[in-house]
Amino acid sequence: MLTPLEPATAEELAAAVAAAEGPLELRGHGSKRDFGRPVQASQLLDLSRLSGVTLYEPDELVLSAGAGTPVAEIERLLTANGQILAFEPPDLGPLFGQEAGRGTLGGMIACNLAGPRRIKAGALRDYLLGATAVNGRGEIFKTGGRVMKNVTGYDLCKLLAGSFGTLAAIASATLKVLPAPEAVRTLMVRGLGDPAAMLLMSRAMVSAEDVSGAAHLPEAAARCLPHADVGTAVTLLRLEGTPRSVAQRLAMLAKELESPSEELGEIESTVLWRGLRNLLPFRGDHGAAIWRLSVPPTAGADVLRACGPVERCFYDWGGGLIWLTTAAEGDAGAARIRAALSASGGHATLVRAPIAIRASAEVFQPQEPALAALTRRVKESFDPLGRFNPGRMYAGA
Amino acid sequence: MRMPEPDQAAIARRAEIALALRRILPAESVIEDGEARRAYESDGLTAYRQPPLVVALPSTTAEVAAVLRYCHENRLKVVPRGAGTSLSGGALPLADGVLLGMAKFNRVLDVDIANRAAVVQPGVTNLAISQAVAPAGFYYAPDPSSQIACTIGGNVAENSGGVHCLKYGMTGNNLLGLEMVLINGEVVRLGGRHLDAGGYDLMGVVTGSEGLLGVVTEVTVRILRRPSTQRALLLGFASCEDAGECVAKVIAAGIIPAGMEMMDKPAIHAAEDFVAAGYPRDAEALLIVELDGPVVEVDELIARVEQIAKACGSTSERVSRDEAERQRFWAGRKAAFPAVGRISPDYYCMDGTIPRRRLPEVLAKMQAMSRACGLRVANVFHAGDGNLHPLILYDANKPGELETAEAFGADILRLCVAVGGVLTGEHGVGVEKRDLMGEMFNETDLAQQERLKCAFDSEGLLNPGKMFPVLHRCAELGRMHVSAGKLPFPELPRF
Amino acid sequence: MQTNFTLAQLADADTAQSEKILRTCVHCGFCTATCPTYLLTGDELDGPRGRIYLIKDMLEGGRAASATVAKHIDRCLSCLACMTTCPSGVHYMHLVDHARKHIAQTFRRPVGDRFLRKLLAVLLPRPALFRGALRLARLARPFARSMPGRLGAMTRLAPAALPASSPVDRPQVFPAEGARQKRVALLSGCVQTVLRPGINEATIRLLNRHGVEVVVAAGAGCCGALTHHLGEEAPALASAKRNIGAWWREIEGQGLDAIVINASGCGTMVKDYGFLLREDRDWAVKAAKVAGLAKDITEILDEIGLRPTSSDGPRRVAYHSACSMQHGQRLDALPRRLIASAGFELCEIPEGHLCCGSAGSYSILEPGFAGQLKTRKLANIARAKAEVMVAGNIGCLEHLAGGLDLPMIHTAELLDWATGGPKPAALTSAAG
Repeated sequence: MLTPLEPATAEELAAAVAAAEGPLELRGHGSKRDFGRPVQASQLLDLSRLSGVTLYEPDELVLSAGAGTPVAEIERLLTANGQILAFEPPDLGPLFGQEAGRGTLGGMIACNLAGPRRIKAGALRDYLLGATAVNGRGEIFKTGGRVMKNVTGYDLCKLLAGSFGTLAAIASATLKVLPAPEAVRTLMVRGLGDPAAMLLMSRAMVSAEDVSGAAHLPEAAARCLPHADVGTAVTLLRLEGTPRSVAQRLAMLAKELESPSEELGEIESTVLWRGLRNLLPFRGDHGAAIWRLSVPPTAGADVLRACGPVERCFYDWGGGLIWLTTAAEGDAGAARIRAALSASGGHATLVRAPIAIRASAEVFQPQEPALAALTRRVKESFDPLGRFNPGRMYAGA
Repeated sequence: MRMPEPDQAAIARRAEIALALRRILPAESVIEDGEARRAYESDGLTAYRQPPLVVALPSTTAEVAAVLRYCHENRLKVVPRGAGTSLSGGALPLADGVLLGMAKFNRVLDVDIANRAAVVQPGVTNLAISQAVAPAGFYYAPDPSSQIACTIGGNVAENSGGVHCLKYGMTGNNLLGLEMVLINGEVVRLGGRHLDAGGYDLMGVVTGSEGLLGVVTEVTVRILRRPSTQRALLLGFASCEDAGECVAKVIAAGIIPAGMEMMDKPAIHAAEDFVAAGYPRDAEALLIVELDGPVVEVDELIARVEQIAKACGSTSERVSRDEAERQRFWAGRKAAFPAVGRISPDYYCMDGTIPRRRLPEVLAKMQAMSRACGLRVANVFHAGDGNLHPLILYDANKPGELETAEAFGADILRLCVAVGGVLTGEHGVGVEKRDLMGEMFNETDLAQQERLKCAFDSEGLLNPGKMFPVLHRCAELGRMHVSAGKLPFPELPRF
Repeated sequence: MQTNFTLAQLADADTAQSEKILRTCVHCGFCTATCPTYLLTGDELDGPRGRIYLIKDMLEGGRAASATVAKHIDRCLSCLACMTTCPSGVHYMHLVDHARKHIAQTFRRPVGDRFLRKLLAVLLPRPALFRGALRLARLARPFARSMPGRLGAMTRLAPAALPASSPVDRPQVFPAEGARQKRVALLSGCVQTVLRPGINEATIRLLNRHGVEVVVAAGAGCCGALTHHLGEEAPALASAKRNIGAWWREIEGQGLDAIVINASGCGTMVKDYGFLLREDRDWAVKAAKVAGLAKDITEILDEIGLRPTSSDGPRRVAYHSACSMQHGQRLDALPRRLIASAGFELCEIPEGHLCCGSAGSYSILEPGFAGQLKTRKLANIARAKAEVMVAGNIGCLEHLAGGLDLPMIHTAELLDWATGGPKPAALTSAAG
């Protein structure tokens, strides 16, 4: 490996890319460097020096910062102003054996991860208003702007989000921010089997009570919660808003659901949902392979059952997001897990596994031929020479 | 505004092309007659007209694929069209292009309440989706003012917004899945009923791609439970500055209304003449603020907003007492554009976005421009998100007025970009703003976008002449390197 | 929209009027949302915006109507849903009326088509001839299959049993019961007197009971809508003048508070008499006065105030809002309110803004579209889960009759019964 490139400005970044002689591994803090297929790069492109908040106008709901800005710094600034990143980005660092609280804006964008509030507020890609980036030719291009309503030209921001650094090196980005909810409470129902939990969560989501988090932890996963009894599953519904509104809706929801439930207060709720967002049920389990499945919410339990035996698992997004762990051997269960999706549709991503498994099993859901070809062509349109994280998502792309 | 020179060879082959299309589609679904084709020559932007080569009206994905394959093989251009309500010329036909009308795709295929999703064909109107899910107490949130007639396929192409996108997002934030046919006839499915689509967000980039990347043949949308309460406030102000300040203070107070719209005096009067909603005729600016959600929350927020408005000097405050009244408050705003057709033979509807705080300054500058060029302008403004709709009133029958209106419009958009905004918030670039793209993007920016286009449509057959001011050949883009602002390949057409 | 007419063209009153209408259209396309034929074909030419464009093109070009224009204008139901939807106030009705007139004058139709239209124009407005034709049709029914296309279809449409003509349709005065509140003329109509004379009978009873003296004026007859919609301006205006003359005699005689019409298709026509004769020096003033006096039966009853009595029988009523009523006369809430005030429970018919496909002679001339719309309307009526369907227009009632196992009666018949009159036959034969 050659010495790392450490540009401090967009121009330096462009020059570095233009001058690069071989493939580059893009990295912010490296908190998620092991997420994706292994990348054979000849040089590291370290983007952490492109750091700093350059614009923050709370009453315009907009914030711009360099791609190397720590997410923690952004979140601190927002909290101080009563605002949040509504999509609740998970901190996956600890999962990969890194410190907590690491991770940059660029990395967050590249992985497009979203926490429990996705069911109401959307994902990161719904909050990325604009970006300045460098393509594989070493050219700086900008896309989007700093306003919410913008349909000028192709929405390349959507492509950048979730592209795992394979399309462009982001220099800076502009995000939409929202006011933080004034109050939060959680309704907890104990002892539901997975199918019953899917139904309950669906009813909650379909109700008029504006639920902003719906998760189900089967017994093994529920052990991670401080107030759970050993041996019971726990289903959790979050309500946010003004204090009186939350209190009233909680009461209405409890009545509508017809299952006995308990209420968790403000602090308990905040801690709980932060924990779920950061995959608390998997804390401490460093060896297992971790899968993330996105499915139609009502199909959650059926899909999980069809996956066959798993070590630990829990549901988020009302059943539409399944996190599960399997033994880190063979294909880590890839064949049977992907087969489990055939009836419902959706996709499965191997988030964490030893490098050997990630090299052989498909990390991201394999695509139909026409779509795969289109994906390759899109990659080429940004990065014809394959400079950026080659093979990070798919072989040859 | 010039369109690409039509390919005379294609035009000469019209009869043969129509015949070939009649082997794919029923005879009635291929329109060749000149008079009939002329009725399709424009969309909602009537300043520009061009009768298509032939009109094709498919009704299945297979037919769309076959038509596109035929066009691809014969290097024929294709312009997709929904209801043809685009205000930017997105559905403007090409004289040498096949106009692919998608209005026959008008069925709601599945309503899946438990998964909060609805699967519909692209020709279903925006409002029809809400109507289909209404019995279950649900609706489809993005609500462009033309929602009664515009199709969801068109909404996807333009990433349409509407009054309620402040709180609920635009079309792109409310899509779960798409089925799309590429120019070569390949069918791809993106997303589905699950939340995260997986892979590159192709659905995200296709949304707002104005018919240049593919033809959408099925759409899965996110539907939401209707809020238990929706109430609206009608706030009159003595100046646009006061109204703008109110908007900023509401947001700063941590309140995100479901919708927040502003109208200036000319717009207020035009709308009030059409639907007697009780708009205050003496106000210089009117704010329509909608709050929705659980009853107790809405009541709380209404009181807070009213307080903020009074602190900002509002001259009148009305709160809707029931659903019928709330609808009436909105009816005038929603029909504002064509209602202006009552006070002027023609109007030119602009669409730019600015940072909200710059509104008073932008309005003042627009008034000065209006006086200078002698054309009236009425303003409708999505105050919550900064999206501005100046309506320039003119008379196409008076020589030169159309050109003056266009120049005025272009100046407004340049001003939007100059204050940190963008050329178009929801109507799309189309042909209308195509030649202004350079105000926002430099050549490298545009080249990157055009290269993306090549990944989908390397021959440039889908909707050429829209969105981008220069038609590059894909091979050229591959080798193109812009240096010192000088553009290579000077012989390529630029409009 | 921008228009391109020469001064010479604009010297023609019709063209000048149409040019004004064309200028109000901004081509926004909202109208396509509620057009029944656009819904069926997805073809812009079968929607109002496309039709407006075709008409504009044809008139600007000073051309004879082509087959293309005739086809798409013929397919127009004149339901006027587009007018209700249009935010710019385009008067589509007057524009399409002008186009039909232009087509009738300049387009050479195929001979079979010409014959059929002539037949309809001659027969339908003349009750005696119509009755005779229907008797013949009844006899010819067994041979309907071997008759050419639409002629065969029409023959099969002839009702199996024809009611006898009613004495109420002869010129006379029907005194009010009790104190006389108003004096009105009743338009007896043409096909209604042949196919369902019970409607006029019920209307007269209903009005008399509410203190209204009703006169069937001598000399009044068909309102002219049928020929007008076929583009035959001369006979249409002749009908209008004859009616205006007949009612004028009453106006100058004992006076009239209103001219009551119980077929919304005719009501729309009579209310437009002022516009139709605006250029006629001798008739303009009278026509405007007559048009101003025209009222639908529900409007008059609303003014007077309905006096319902209690009665047994069906309570769940599906109100079919005829196009000419809701779009042509902008009467939708009023009839519903009236029916509800008589103690009935109103059941909503989904897609109520969509035409049933009757549209005067349309159901005969465009059986394909009329049939599709009929099927759609019947399915929607079934969804309303009512015990009886009411409508304020003879065309809809005849078109939909027998399509469902559901009695279908006129609003006047329902309200007559609800205020003390006889129970309509259709309701007694129905179960329950």
